[in-house]
Amino acid sequence: MEPELAVALPAAGAACATALRPRPRLALSLGALLGAGGLAAVVLSAPGAASDLLGITLSLSAPSRSMLIVAAAALAFVVVLAPQNAERSSLLRWGLAGLAGMAAIAVAPTLDVSVMVLLALVVLQAAVPGRRASARRLRAPALAVALLGLGLLFARMPGPPALERLGAVGLVAGLVAALGALPYMHEFDPEELTATSPIPWLAFVGPLLAVVVLTRARDLVPTAAGALGAMLIGLGLLNIVWGCISSWRTELGAAAWRYSFIADWGLALCGFGLGLTEGWSGALLVLYSVLLGRLPLYLWSRQPLREKVQTDRPINLLVAAALAGSAPFAGFTARILLLRGATALYWPLALVLAATLLLWVPSSLRLGRTLGMPNGRQLAGVVVALALNVALGLYPQPLLSLAGL
Amino acid sequence: MSEAAALAAWLGAAIILLADGRRGLALGLAVMAAGLAGVAFAVGQQLTGGALLAGGVLAAALRWRTGPDGWGLMQPGSTPRIILTVVIGLVALYFAASLASGDGAAVRFAPLACLALAGARLLQGAERAAALTAASALVLALGAGSLLGPSGSLPAAVVAALIAAGASALPATEPHGA
Repeated sequence: MEPELAVALPAAGAACATALRPRPRLALSLGALLGAGGLAAVVLSAPGAASDLLGITLSLSAPSRSMLIVAAAALAFVVVLAPQNAERSSLLRWGLAGLAGMAAIAVAPTLDVSVMVLLALVVLQAAVPGRRASARRLRAPALAVALLGLGLLFARMPGPPALERLGAVGLVAGLVAALGALPYMHEFDPEELTATSPIPWLAFVGPLLAVVVLTRARDLVPTAAGALGAMLIGLGLLNIVWGCISSWRTELGAAAWRYSFIADWGLALCGFGLGLTEGWSGALLVLYSVLLGRLPLYLWSRQPLREKVQTDRPINLLVAAALAGSAPFAGFTARILLLRGATALYWPLALVLAATLLLWVPSSLRLGRTLGMPNGRQLAGVVVALALNVALGLYPQPLLSLAGL
Repeated sequence: MSEAAALAAWLGAAIILLADGRRGLALGLAVMAAGLAGVAFAVGQQLTGGALLAGGVLAAALRWRTGPDGWGLMQPGSTPRIILTVVIGLVALYFAASLASGDGAAVRFAPLACLALAGARLLQGAERAAALTAASALVLALGAGSLLGPSGSLPAAVVAALIAAGASALPATEPHGA
């Protein structure tokens, strides 16, 4: 199957869902059909195989393909078990638009084009009516595009090795700015719609973008790979500590969830920075668990957060355990892989990482309570999210094999 | 030829940074696109240059039609912005001509200066038309930056032109709900 279809079908689905807004059921059916077609195109495409139908060579790498499949599964999961107050056709519309952009980022022939597609996504998100002015919403992610662009320019300039290291700085700074992690936190309004908030950058588009940028960065800055890894590990540790403590101590529940995403990104950045197979496996597992666990749980927590309902039932404790990365959930396996990678690279780093892992406990207990007393679709969603997390924790290899690891 | 074109690209991006009205923003975008296209022509990439020019001129024409009235160039209080344009130009020149080695300093200078100036405009902009114009400038600079890459620059330039025009085609007024 051609990678062009992986972009075109979700884009057509998003366009249909937008055009058919007055008829939500038809929009949902048609959008779902085209989205499923897009997912089938990704699943059936061979990793690394190039296609030249449009006169541009497009191909999908194995890690990007696996991330797209998981993102599409997360979207389907969220739409089928949508929060009670959310409109399914709207969720699908935004999700398919994001998925089309992500597929375009993944199949683009060069990182330049991927960054341009990222800018198109940024502009489209800012153009949607929201609580904040569009120029303010555009600011942080567009800065990311500028930083990635500067990184690309420096990486390609002939000259002393310092230029390549500057390129690595630009790429890492741009990636972290696109995600909205420290030190480039995006402006956050807890009452904002999820689609127009910084959450999609952290929890939906971000995982694929990180995989694409870091996979291609290896070829762009080969002599600065060590510096790139060191920056990722440094920023990762900073985000773990800041994200966990802020998620625990901040007043607003929605902000606590946002910081928890940042803490997870800290782990993923550390894993990518290690540069070893174990590190990449751990990082990808963290990102899979963000897509299939933390993001849906965040969406289901929105209504109880508005109603200020907090409960301490067994289901809340189970959710807290999953978010904290305890066994047998996916976070546990990811942490074991990261610790193995860190031990192999430099054992004091494993010691520091192990110490920071305890920081997840208080914030996760708090986040578990914010789900309130799930019932109906929300309860089914929480149970499925927990089951998926357990499956990922016990049998991570099928997804890791899909990513070529 | 390439040095003059690179200077024109910097000047265009500087105008975008200094302008608040739709005419000033459109002029800056057109001059910048012409400069970037000139740099591409000078290195023998006519198709890339043509795509950048077409995208930039179309985006500028769309901007000319919508946005805050007038030119809005160098309004009171814009001294820091003027200084910024000069500083960014000098720093970009240092990286492109002094620190980097080899021929083609103009090809390195033009996208570097335009990227930095467009990024600065995005950071300071509180107005939608200016932010969208800066986004168009940013993507055109990225398209020109692909001239430095080992693979062909035409696909990147075509994508850049489409996105630049698309960003300028979006409504300049804040949609309901903001």
